[in-house]
Amino acid sequence: MANEVVIQTRNLTKIYRDFWGRKKVRALNSLSMEVVKGEVFGLLGPNGSGKTTTLKLLLGLLFPTEGDVTILGKSASDVTKNERIGYLPEESYLYRFLNAEETLDFYGRLFNMPANVRRDRSKALIERVGLTNARKRQLKEYSKGMTRRIGLAQALINEPDLILLDEPTSGLDPIGSRDMKDMIVKLKQEGKTVVMCSHLLADVQDVCDRIAILDGGELKVFGKVQDLLKDQGVTQIKSSHLDEAAIKEVEAVLAKHGATMIEVDHPTTNLEDLFIKTVRESAARPGQRYVPPSNPEKVASGTGKAVPGTVHPPGGKA
Amino acid sequence: MSLSFNPETFNLGQGLGNWVVVMVILAVVTFITALVVSLLAEGFAGPWQVLLHIAGGFQDLFGTSARRCLALAQLTFREAIRRKTLWVFGVFAVLFLFAGWFLADVTADADLQVKNYVSFVLRTISWLILPVALLLSCWGLPEDIKARSLHTVVTKPVRRHEIVLGRILGFAAIGVLVLGVMSVVGYIWINRQLPDAMQSQLTARVPVYGTISFLDSEGKPAEAGVNTGDENMFRSFVEGNTKARAIWAYSNIDISQLEEGRLVLESSFQAFRTYKGNIDRQLLGQFTLVNAKKELRVPLKAFEVREFRRNVYDVAKENPTLQDVAGKPVEMKDLLSEGQLQVETACLSSAQFLGMARPDLFIRMPPRSFAASYFKSVANIGMMMLMVVVLGVVSGSFLKGPVATILTFFIVIVGRLAHTFMQGLVTGNVDYYNPTVKVQGAGPFGALYRIFSHLTPGIAFDDTFFFRVIDVLDRIALNVLWAVQHLFPNFTSFDTTEYTANAFDVPWAEALLPNLAMTIGYCLPWILVGYFSLRLRELESK
Repeated sequence: MANEVVIQTRNLTKIYRDFWGRKKVRALNSLSMEVVKGEVFGLLGPNGSGKTTTLKLLLGLLFPTEGDVTILGKSASDVTKNERIGYLPEESYLYRFLNAEETLDFYGRLFNMPANVRRDRSKALIERVGLTNARKRQLKEYSKGMTRRIGLAQALINEPDLILLDEPTSGLDPIGSRDMKDMIVKLKQEGKTVVMCSHLLADVQDVCDRIAILDGGELKVFGKVQDLLKDQGVTQIKSSHLDEAAIKEVEAVLAKHGATMIEVDHPTTNLEDLFIKTVRESAARPGQRYVPPSNPEKVASGTGKAVPGTVHPPGGKA
Repeated sequence: MSLSFNPETFNLGQGLGNWVVVMVILAVVTFITALVVSLLAEGFAGPWQVLLHIAGGFQDLFGTSARRCLALAQLTFREAIRRKTLWVFGVFAVLFLFAGWFLADVTADADLQVKNYVSFVLRTISWLILPVALLLSCWGLPEDIKARSLHTVVTKPVRRHEIVLGRILGFAAIGVLVLGVMSVVGYIWINRQLPDAMQSQLTARVPVYGTISFLDSEGKPAEAGVNTGDENMFRSFVEGNTKARAIWAYSNIDISQLEEGRLVLESSFQAFRTYKGNIDRQLLGQFTLVNAKKELRVPLKAFEVREFRRNVYDVAKENPTLQDVAGKPVEMKDLLSEGQLQVETACLSSAQFLGMARPDLFIRMPPRSFAASYFKSVANIGMMMLMVVVLGVVSGSFLKGPVATILTFFIVIVGRLAHTFMQGLVTGNVDYYNPTVKVQGAGPFGALYRIFSHLTPGIAFDDTFFFRVIDVLDRIALNVLWAVQHLFPNFTSFDTTEYTANAFDVPWAEALLPNLAMTIGYCLPWILVGYFSLRLRELESK
């Protein structure tokens, strides 16, 4: 059932009221949308656009002013729906006096899991999010990145079918952010549905199949990322290295077909790739400066030779 | 020393009946209010929502999981421990390290010394544990909601009442731990502080109380004895050398069940002298044992009333042979046939008075161990602590920490200090010791009329339509207030220190059972309130 609807909202509206019942903010206005099984769905929008409100309405943490929500075939206020849902809040609001193992054990018990299942899953999840060495430390000693990881682990303790992630990559360094995105993609491969809200557009573009853009509580854009971003008026061709003469010839061919060459350039990699490669190389060869392969002359002249002690250890705490 | 209050046997059936009545009234009022409010707020969909929530409540009840409750309880326990709650032991230790300096050898009288130690220990424990329980429980849930850690809990399949129950269990466990350690330390402390000579005073007397009635100075039945103008109406006074008597009637006396198979009367009457007299001599009193059915009257040897002391009167020891008024020998078994016995008490000193109240004279049963009495008092403190915890958690389910603390504190203070007064106001019976003293005048509306018309309470209203309306309004107001005063538990009754400190056993039917019933009776509806307020509440506080 590829198109099984996992989340459906109809005219979902949320108005915050003040103490006297007067309308204060219309946080969400008539949102109607569907999320289908097996996709990664992104809710985008600027701060205060209604993303988190939507997520909280889905979870039953807020009650809709109008409209309704069906999630996994149940009402948002039905507590049994939570059996199949994993939720990572915006900031990890976990119990800071527990350590990683106790945290996962606690949440496992809330799913009424027997002790041996809890033990096995905790162990596997702690390994999966890379916290094995920190599993006995209290969460209050964790860095932001580690807190996000344990947050994700608790969201996965029940092997959920639907995972709701609120700003999963916020506050993470590029490595952590990449790891988180890799895990989201992996969850999708396992057939799980993921709904994430974020304002880090690059991250959303990397992992999401479909997105909705909210602004001022209203749905502005809804559809597949691929389709939404495709510019049908421009065709991009990538080739191996061409010299000036070849470029002229290509331009002539284009002119023959009535097209104009807009730009010819050597693509640059993005800073994220460079950062990740640097940190990984540095881990592999401690004490040496990492020299990107695109700078061959520097290696040849020997100026890039590492001076011991100038390389920073990779990744900080995370 | 006898008790300064009148221990009454708790009637479980009647208590349960009252409870059901109050619960049904409250449930009906709440249900109708909810229907009306929801109808006004949401239109016709509102009442339907109310019904759905009630149905949801039942559904949740059946989905309760002990594992989840225990997980939440353990979380609460860990949180409290890791937040260094147990520092309270530090305060306790300091108090006990130095208390000995101030409390030792205050008096040469063993029973008063024991009373000092025991009341100090029990009061200290309860004054230390109650604030801890109150603060922990009032701040637990609001902090959890404020820090949004509760979000990660409610997005799991956790029923809202499991959160309330888990919190209560966790805090109660902390309380029991603290209480357990403190009470054991306190018990050892008392035993070690007391010199060997006083150890025998550590006991728990088991009294059999009778019912009391009075004869006036001419020997006619009277409602009470003489009022000597003492502001404390607890005791009624019997005039000396007249026919005035206080009569205690006992039933179901089985001599073989009594202490060492002997009839031992213990009394502590209050002396009221109209003239100084011989100050070196105490007032004289006399008991007469009466079996009305067999028409036996046996006057006993007179005794001196030592004030503020336990006067033990061993009937067989003081009167080797029992003789009736005509000088005929009487057997004790005849006197006690069918378990009936009356003890008439007279004051023999002319123009002096002896003050008597029901608990001032009792027949002694074999004593129980002091430890049993002590730990029963501790159990009562534990029940009170549990009530404070439940109240705190529940108020925290719909209020922020500081407000929840104030509310809980208010209920505890009212329940502890003002309950008797409040009850007196609504029942018109202002004198706790003397139910015959009624408020003169009327209820709130009548009183208002009297204020403006300068009519003193002693003057009755005329029987006109106007005053009949006022009377009806007063009745309604007093009945509503009667229901409202039930919202405040009588926390005074959890303090059974007086029993233990005065070397009495803490009785089951008079002290433990009513407190247990009260704890359960209050906690159940409170938990229900906590459940619905968490269920109906948007946890995302904006």
